[in-house]
Amino acid sequence: MWKSYEDLQVLKGVSFELAEKEVKVIFGPSGSGKSTLLRCINMLNPPDKGEIFLHGKNITASGVNLNEIRTRIGMVFQHFNLFAHLKAIDNVSIGLRRVKGFSKEEAREKALEALERVKMAEWADHYPAQLSGGQQQRVGIARALSMEPDIILFDEPTSALDPELIGEVLQVMLDIAKAGTTMVVVTHEMGFAKAVATEMIFLSEGAVIERGTPKHFFMKPESERVRKFLKQLEVLYGTHEQMIDLLEEEEK
Amino acid sequence: MPDLADILIYIVTKGLAQTLLMTVLGLLIGFVLGIILALMRVYAGKELNWLASGYEKIFRGIPILVLIYIFAFGVPELFWYVDPLQRPLASIIFALGLRSGAYQSQIFRGAILSVNPGQIEAARALGMSGLQTFRHVVLPQALRLAMPSWSNEYSVVIKDSSFAYAVGIVELTRAAYNFSYAFRGFWTVSIGVLAILYFLLTYPITKLFGEHQTKKLKKLGMGGG
Amino acid sequence: MIFQQNNPIGEIFTILGYWDRILSGFLTTMWLYVWALMIGFFLGLLLSLFRQYGGRILSRVSGGYIEFIRGTPLIAQLFFIFYGLNIPVGTWNVLARFSIFDKNITFIFLNHRILFGIIALSLNSAAYQAEYLRSSIMSIGAGQLMAAQSIGMSRVAGIRHIILPQALRRVIPAWSNEAAYLPKYTVVVSLIGATELFGQAKSIVADSFISLTTYIIVAIIFLITIAIISKGLDTLHKRTEIPGL
Repeated sequence: MWKSYEDLQVLKGVSFELAEKEVKVIFGPSGSGKSTLLRCINMLNPPDKGEIFLHGKNITASGVNLNEIRTRIGMVFQHFNLFAHLKAIDNVSIGLRRVKGFSKEEAREKALEALERVKMAEWADHYPAQLSGGQQQRVGIARALSMEPDIILFDEPTSALDPELIGEVLQVMLDIAKAGTTMVVVTHEMGFAKAVATEMIFLSEGAVIERGTPKHFFMKPESERVRKFLKQLEVLYGTHEQMIDLLEEEEK
Repeated sequence: MPDLADILIYIVTKGLAQTLLMTVLGLLIGFVLGIILALMRVYAGKELNWLASGYEKIFRGIPILVLIYIFAFGVPELFWYVDPLQRPLASIIFALGLRSGAYQSQIFRGAILSVNPGQIEAARALGMSGLQTFRHVVLPQALRLAMPSWSNEYSVVIKDSSFAYAVGIVELTRAAYNFSYAFRGFWTVSIGVLAILYFLLTYPITKLFGEHQTKKLKKLGMGGG
Repeated sequence: MIFQQNNPIGEIFTILGYWDRILSGFLTTMWLYVWALMIGFFLGLLLSLFRQYGGRILSRVSGGYIEFIRGTPLIAQLFFIFYGLNIPVGTWNVLARFSIFDKNITFIFLNHRILFGIIALSLNSAAYQAEYLRSSIMSIGAGQLMAAQSIGMSRVAGIRHIILPQALRRVIPAWSNEAAYLPKYTVVVSLIGATELFGQAKSIVADSFISLTTYIIVAIIFLITIAIISKGLDTLHKRTEIPGL
């Protein structure tokens, strides 16, 4: 995949496959093209060059109904992007009603189910502004889940959150990863990656520098840049890893 | 000798209905026009955008009285389908509407642009079409965001409807004028009553929509206050 | 064609033949405008300062004045002053006569109509200008006044030397809107018989029986005037800009 804005080349030939039930974690320094990559995958920002296949169908070809494709690729945003004029439940059900054509009752039922999965059912009748950042992000995840997409893309879902709210969101993400959801997650939460990633990709300046299992990255990363970057993350996020360990232990 | 109640009753019974009629219809025409113009300015190509912004400049710059005279005396043929006696009224409603359209266009344009772009992205990511996104995400929020300025526009139109006085339509201002003319020496009281009437028609509504609605929008986290 | 029975080009020339009246009317319009803008500005500044720093009573009074003026039509205000107050000023004219080419032009500096017109327009514009000034003052924040007082300035000195210089610069873009569009509100004075541009236009129509062309020419004159003032104020804004303010 290639993408550039005017003279700035953001993606310079990034390529990967995603199998069903896989969790792919993408990380790298800011400005490395991670968010652009996600927006290419669901064609919000179509790549200039390159192809994307979903179940063997080329969605970058002309004449593809992108709206239909997007119902099959969910997205969770860094800044939640909840619809401010709608209650939590309506944020989740609006896609079901308006895009998938569900009846009001059906949509409500499914939306409640999705809210249940992110433990937000009791907040269904609150407006986004009445919710904490962590709660808003959980509603955002429910909104993506409710459409029952083939893949969900996560664009730095915890980086806009206050530290004490990150745990509840990561917990929900762990749960749905373990339930077998196919995910592409842009994040710096290495604890999350360690716990569920099937593959990690280190992106820098629009190119893949290194890829491998979490084990590979944490035991013996090849490139010096990756090592340095991971070191910095450890300083910044070290405590989060322990939090994931705690979450894991609690479950056991 | 007329007392305060007589003056009030006279002005209200003779004039209020016409004033409100002109205001409501003027606002309505302006609303339809304003939405169309705003859509042209935000979403349409260069030419239509230029056209809409030219329209705004022209109708914001012409004094409302001149506009009323253009329609009432310049092109009375424009209202051939209206009963001749009602033509001045029709021309004023038309003038108020066209002028208000220019202002409402600016109001709605600002409101549409202040809907958070992240929400538009989220709607598209859900698989909504551009039209669905506008209909279900942008428009409902834009209309709410526009409310405070829109209530102000109501106040502008109702005040400007007083210019109908100049072409002899009996609305509030003309009624007060006629009353004072009939009972010389009552200018102070009747124009005073007139002013208070207008104030009561505008202030509570702009206050309610302006402050109350702004607070409500803030609570919903819309528009950034 | 239903709009024009006559030759439109011929009509335009007929109307332009009344250029002496148009010129005299335009001068009166600008005369009204300049006074209303200036007096309105100083009154508005006073009102906004009272509203913001005037203590409870002054603040209430100026707030009430601003809301009442903004909530009532300009015509009602003008009529109240002209008819309602019964001020015995008599009928008189202070005027200048001069001739350009073969036409004699009369320009009235002041008579009772112009005087009351300027008063009404100024009192009206003051309320609107006060609102712009007040929100500009409010946007500067109390911190700066406190900082001024902390280095020993009096409250008045703080307002005078710290708040006002910033507020006046900051208000320019919003204030320009009011200033540029004020000319169009002066037509209201024609309703009490002043012969500004629109009043002259009505007399031209009465003599020539050409209405549409006349009013459109008047509309165009207003549009050009407003565009020029807008442009001028824009330049002023750019000249007085300070980075970060």
